[in-house]
Amino acid sequence: MTSRTPEPSRRTLLSLAASTSLAGALGTLPAFAASAAPLRPPAESEAPADDRHVLWWRAPADEHSMIEQGLPVGNGRLGALASNDPGRELLLVTDATMWTGGLNDTLDADGQFPYGRDDFGSFTLLARLTVDLPGHDLSAVHDYRRTLDLARGLVTTSYVRSGVTYRREIFASRPDDVIVVHFTASGGGRYTGSLTLDGTHGETPTSTSFGASFPNGLRYGAAVTASTSGPGRVTVRGARIDFSGCADLTVVVSGGTDYAPDASAGYRDPSLDPEDLARTKVRAAATHPVGTLRSTHIADHRALYGRLGLDLGTSTARQRALDTWERIQERHASGEPDPELEAAYLQFGRYLMISGSRGSLPMGLQGLWLDGNDPDWMGDYHTDINIQMNYWMADRTALPSCFDALADYCLAQLPSWTELTGRLFQDPRNRFRNSSGVIAGWTVAFSTDPHGGLGWWWHPAGNAWLCNTLYEHYEYTLSRAYLEKIHPLLKGACAFWEARLLPVSLPGSGEEVLIADAGWSPEHGPQDGKGNTYDQELVWALFGNYHAACTRLGKDTAHAQRIAALREKLYLPRVSPTTGWLEEWMSPDNLGETTHRHLSPLVGLFPGDRIRPDGSTPQEIVDGATALLTARGMDSYGWANAWRALCWARLKNAGTAYQLVVNNLRPSTGGSNGTAFNLFDIYQTEPGRGIFQIDANFGTPAAMIEMLLYARPGHIELLPALPDAWAASGALTGAAVRGGFTVDLHWRDGRPSLVRLHSTGGRTTTVTYGGLSRKVVLEPGASVTLKGFTG
Amino acid sequence: MRSSPRSALPARGLRAMVVLALAAGLATTAHSTPAHAADTPTAPAARHTASAPALAAKPYMGWSSWSMQSSKYPGLNPDGDYSYLTEANVLEQADALAAKLKKYGYEYVNIDAGWWRDNTWTPEFDTYARQKPDPVRFPHGMKAVADHIHAKGLKAGIYLPVGLEKEAYHDGTSPIWNAPGCTTADIVYSDLRTTNGWDSAYKLDFSRPCTQKYIDSQAQLLADWGYDFLKLDGVGPGSFKSGDNYDNVPDVAAWHQAIAATGRPIHLELSWSLDIQHAADWKKYSNGWRVDTDVECYCNTLVSWENSVDDRFADAPAWTRHAGPGGWNDLDSLDVGNGTMDGLTKAERQSYATLWAIAKSPLYTGDDLTRLDSYGVSLLTNREVIAVDQGDGPPAQPVTASDPQQVWAAKNPDGSYTVALFNLADAPAAVTADWSALGFTGQAAVRDLWNHENLGDHRNRITEALPAHGSRLFTVTPRRSSHTVHYTGYEAEAPANTLSGNASVADCAACSGGKKAGNLYLGGKLTITNVVVDKPGTYQVKVTYVSGDARSALISANGGGAVRHTFASTGDWGTTGTVSVPVTLKAGSNTLTIDSGSDYAPDIDRIDVPQSS
Repeated sequence: MTSRTPEPSRRTLLSLAASTSLAGALGTLPAFAASAAPLRPPAESEAPADDRHVLWWRAPADEHSMIEQGLPVGNGRLGALASNDPGRELLLVTDATMWTGGLNDTLDADGQFPYGRDDFGSFTLLARLTVDLPGHDLSAVHDYRRTLDLARGLVTTSYVRSGVTYRREIFASRPDDVIVVHFTASGGGRYTGSLTLDGTHGETPTSTSFGASFPNGLRYGAAVTASTSGPGRVTVRGARIDFSGCADLTVVVSGGTDYAPDASAGYRDPSLDPEDLARTKVRAAATHPVGTLRSTHIADHRALYGRLGLDLGTSTARQRALDTWERIQERHASGEPDPELEAAYLQFGRYLMISGSRGSLPMGLQGLWLDGNDPDWMGDYHTDINIQMNYWMADRTALPSCFDALADYCLAQLPSWTELTGRLFQDPRNRFRNSSGVIAGWTVAFSTDPHGGLGWWWHPAGNAWLCNTLYEHYEYTLSRAYLEKIHPLLKGACAFWEARLLPVSLPGSGEEVLIADAGWSPEHGPQDGKGNTYDQELVWALFGNYHAACTRLGKDTAHAQRIAALREKLYLPRVSPTTGWLEEWMSPDNLGETTHRHLSPLVGLFPGDRIRPDGSTPQEIVDGATALLTARGMDSYGWANAWRALCWARLKNAGTAYQLVVNNLRPSTGGSNGTAFNLFDIYQTEPGRGIFQIDANFGTPAAMIEMLLYARPGHIELLPALPDAWAASGALTGAAVRGGFTVDLHWRDGRPSLVRLHSTGGRTTTVTYGGLSRKVVLEPGASVTLKGFTG
Repeated sequence: MRSSPRSALPARGLRAMVVLALAAGLATTAHSTPAHAADTPTAPAARHTASAPALAAKPYMGWSSWSMQSSKYPGLNPDGDYSYLTEANVLEQADALAAKLKKYGYEYVNIDAGWWRDNTWTPEFDTYARQKPDPVRFPHGMKAVADHIHAKGLKAGIYLPVGLEKEAYHDGTSPIWNAPGCTTADIVYSDLRTTNGWDSAYKLDFSRPCTQKYIDSQAQLLADWGYDFLKLDGVGPGSFKSGDNYDNVPDVAAWHQAIAATGRPIHLELSWSLDIQHAADWKKYSNGWRVDTDVECYCNTLVSWENSVDDRFADAPAWTRHAGPGGWNDLDSLDVGNGTMDGLTKAERQSYATLWAIAKSPLYTGDDLTRLDSYGVSLLTNREVIAVDQGDGPPAQPVTASDPQQVWAAKNPDGSYTVALFNLADAPAAVTADWSALGFTGQAAVRDLWNHENLGDHRNRITEALPAHGSRLFTVTPRRSSHTVHYTGYEAEAPANTLSGNASVADCAACSGGKKAGNLYLGGKLTITNVVVDKPGTYQVKVTYVSGDARSALISANGGGAVRHTFASTGDWGTTGTVSVPVTLKAGSNTLTIDSGSDYAPDIDRIDVPQSS
């Protein structure tokens, strides 16, 4: 690895080293692997809980309400939803690689992919841990309380029964690769009960572990240990563990699969015995005092969590006295901003990111958390907004390492995606095939799985959107090693579009342009539209990114020039003289649903930034995009609101962007759209039925950041859409921006009061606020405090 | 053989003696002057005197056979539907009741439908068209059963449908006992119009002199056998029937008279889903009335939460004001004794028992008393909870909106409150009882009745975590330092308010100011202006409303997010009810909006806003 630019930041160096070794090891490193010896922090290093980072509730979940009331824990790979029911603690345990399907390479009669749980597959549960405590029925205890400490990564429960206070604590440790449930009591309380660790797919129960495999050959397993440090007995009895008279109880769970991110090995590591490895891990963890496991976990979690500071203002004493669910309800009923709650909502997204996206597969529709074996839409990777939205916040909220899971995933799938595209895309039954008859490179379907498989319809521009998302991460980090890693993805996507673009001459002007072949603007309107705005914008950005990447890497120069030339000829959307909207199809007519949830024709506004309200884009285009966004409306849900908020933030409309954030904070009751009790975002599919979709939990935080800070390489804009609710005073520190900087920004009375830039590799940029503009030149690793905006 | 009325009577004070005397007098005159038999005795008037009634001074307690008869639980009805009902089974349950529950106050052993029907449900009658015990089910007859029950120190209950059962008509030829010249043709209408909840009987024509004699003959038979309780079933208006043919008020009056005439105090309980518009009739002539349909599910368990335990939370509130000594709102069997047979979770069983107790419903279980589980025993024998049902406090009613999380309360004569928290949602939830919804603020001592635990003093409110379908039951005793809540009232009809959509002001005799805001449907909306408080906060705003059925409204303040609240039926469109709803107000002037949205909202009489939150 020879980098001409020194990489002086220690953090960048570390991530560079990690990337290099990952790239070298790709194809051999399974997600569930023997862990290195954990780095143990000094015992006294732990900071106490900080109320602003602690969510709390006064009711548990039960078996039937886990998706809306279960509290999530996760170590990036191994996760669980916990009920915190006094009488029956229930953990629904997941591993990111628990997937039932496979390559799914037999097309349906229409040339598209099957989409079932056996062929394409589904994300599914690994195990369920239950700890039964007879006599601790919820109806028999008082002062019930549970918390989620976002900063320390701890779920706690406490209650009083017959005068004794019982406590339990749950965390998922990445260093020790286990989930720990720790029970304690004061005042002489004792625990007597039983626990079981069961599979959820009909596995034969055994005492302290199980192992099995799916029809797709994926082997999986899990193991549990329980112990007490004080008086009392723990006994393995058949398929359960009994305990009696225990002053405390420590339960340790681990598990995983033999999944390996290696297409050539069929995505398996044949040398890995998941049950055996799980047993090894729980035994190893159980040799340490629970306090050691806990402090090791907290240090690991806090190292990531603590990188971003966010203060949106001060809540009232009355708001602070409410529990989290009451605050969500009160925020809605009163209409009064609750700045600390709103900041905590963003931090909850970061908690989910840290818990759900490290060292394994990226997060799909539900992230790492399930309440059953059969999640809606398989809990899969949706490539036409959802997986991209999941990762928009990673860099923005100072969690760049959490992004790696997405890049590594795409890279591991690339051989399979390329093979399937070459073999199946030109199937004569595929209505989206290239009319040129030529095929090259790779693309995806609307759904993808971890085994190289595609599901549902072909999604030609999905490759471009994935690549653009991956490239943006480079723009934040400026890591050359990372760019090297993703280069093959960009190259193959460009090759695909070289073969797919059609030359046409525009009626009237006769201008020769290139347009995308027949496709669909997700997810409405005609399925045979050529030159759809969605395709044109994504390919335009892809070609630009590829050219920039090749330039930086000094490779494929000739190909990059060819691509750049094609980009010059790409047709770009116009404003309809009929509707005044930016056209979604090459037609002045509205061919779809006016208020459709997707904003596919606005990908050039966000996440792209071809359309900029700063004078560099023709005003007519900005107006057409604004009119289209306005027509799409405010009355949507989850990710659709988040996307709208991001677009309005780009248009510097603070009030509208904020209202959409607030719309997502509406309490979800009876499955209605909004925020559930546990802050998971709920999408109502029909009256009375709501499903969890995690994208809004990530997209909404991204929008909140975007309201405070807009940046592209070479350009940073402070407080572009600061809503009145947060204007009095606040701070955002450690936020990364494209171009290789992090920003510390404080404001007061709606104006910046402190602005500090730190280079993580970037050298020059321009910082603007309210018509003022300053050019900044920094050596990598250096910092500067900017005056002049704070007047 | 007629038993001596005096010997069968427990001495329950002056009121009992008055009834006895009147009944005895009527019994003698009735023989000679049947034409006067329909005259209303004066006894019911005595119910309104200060002295305790002879019957149903407290909600009765006991056991009933119907839950097990009606269930498809394995093994209960081996010889066909409802075949559980046999002498052996009844006596086994009576023995178990005596052994396990009698000391807690359970005393009635009630035989339900079918004692005169064989296992194919074919009825049998004596020569006087009176129900005759099926010899297979009751080989020793009904008197032997009652005698056995009495020997255990318990009371015996029996059952009849209202009207003349069709099979008893016998072409109009059956003579009526002790009524020379009367046959079944002389007691019904000539067109043989049918009545009762199943249309299984001919409607009795009480304008005909023979008809009362028929009821008298049935009553005398039951008295002769020694029964202490009669469930009269299929009674209308009610039992899912309305209209003249199903107006069984004359039947009930006749039964009241006939029972009195026997001289034996027989508790008369009416079933089912009695029409609340006739509450005065039911109170006048009976000792209790089923307010709802069967609690049984007719499924593989005895009951289920959804069919129809949970209905009571919506249906009981309108009836609350009608319950009192002498006549109680009957919520039906209390099947909480065996979780497996009941088909309920532990939380559901506790909530079921909680509602029955605070509503002061009769407490009669339909469980298999030989198979009570330990949790079931703890529920059925909790003396603190039984005392709520049997004590001298009034029945509780909702003090909050009838939302998934709701609070019921009653103020007891000693100044304490019985407070129940319910979570009717399908998921756990925190439920808060605000003292201000009870009318006071400050410190109060809280006693947990189910857990027999003092929870210490709680200031202004208590919040507890409840499981799905769960409950808590507390006695809340305000400390001397507590304060009465003072309210500022706002009339819905005040001219400063805004009515939109179809909403309009209407007359309302029961309402303060004689007017209300009504027609709040499909977008109809009432906005009350200039609601002033000193401090920002969440206030328990009392809403006084009128609603003949359960309705909901969206309530919001100052244009903030609206929250939908459900208001229990007040029973009719001429009666008000009051519950508290939480509303977040800012300091100074507020608007408070009650919006029907896309639904139908109750009529609004007024709101009362606490002067401090």
